Amino acid sequence: MPISVTTAMPTSFKVEILKAVHNFTASTGNTFKLALMVATASGSGTYGAATTSYDTLVSNTDELANGNGYTTGGNTLTSVTPVADGTTAVCDFDNTTWSAATFTTCGGIIYNDTAAGDPACAVLSFGGDQQVSSGDFQIQFPAAAAATAIIRIA
Amino acid sequence: MFSASGGALLGQIKAMGVSGRGFTPEELAENAVDRIISISATSDPVIRQQAEAFREHIRAVLVSYGHQCIRSHGTTLTNRFRDAGHPELTKLLEN
Repeated sequence: MPISVTTAMPTSFKVEILKAVHNFTASTGNTFKLALMVATASGSGTYGAATTSYDTLVSNTDELANGNGYTTGGNTLTSVTPVADGTTAVCDFDNTTWSAATFTTCGGIIYNDTAAGDPACAVLSFGGDQQVSSGDFQIQFPAAAAATAIIRIA
Repeated sequence: MFSASGGALLGQIKAMGVSGRGFTPEELAENAVDRIISISATSDPVIRQQAEAFREHIRAVLVSYGHQCIRSHGTTLTNRFRDAGHPELTKLLEN
């Protein structure tokens, strides 16, 4: 069965926010990474709100292999310290790019590499397979505003 | 009775890949301007028009500086190739 990925905020992440597991403060906070999945037909796991950890991606062998512009574990994200936009708290990351890359990916998982168990913060579907060959692959995060930010608490 | 609306929400990312090359200044500028300016679909039409004009201006500035970065980096690479004893490689940098 191919990979099934749905863009979602993991339920476990919502609980972890209330347990102070994650610290998104720039520089002094936790380290967050974005790991990429293999092509839809090359994997088998189901990812969405029920996904709890990056480790699931690893145990299902659904992460891209090391090499060809990708390093297992994914790219380290540069976090921007959360701020308030009106009455909404917003969290942001700088865009991240895989350079000189050759791979096909259908989605990714943002996870906390500092916290025990590599808990998942977001599951991202790319809306189908995205292919890059000897080129650049970039994930662009939305504007850090109340209506758009990647992670926000309204 | 207390009531509240809201919750933890997830925004939408954009995945973009190019093959056989890197991103152009135009492509990067389009991404950058999305990060810099967010225009609400429900904003006042006049305000929206001004915001869109400002957005276009910022995009043009970013494209211009992107091209300048490429030319400047070309100069840096040219010097590195010459310093390393491979002046012939500088031809690869010519447009």
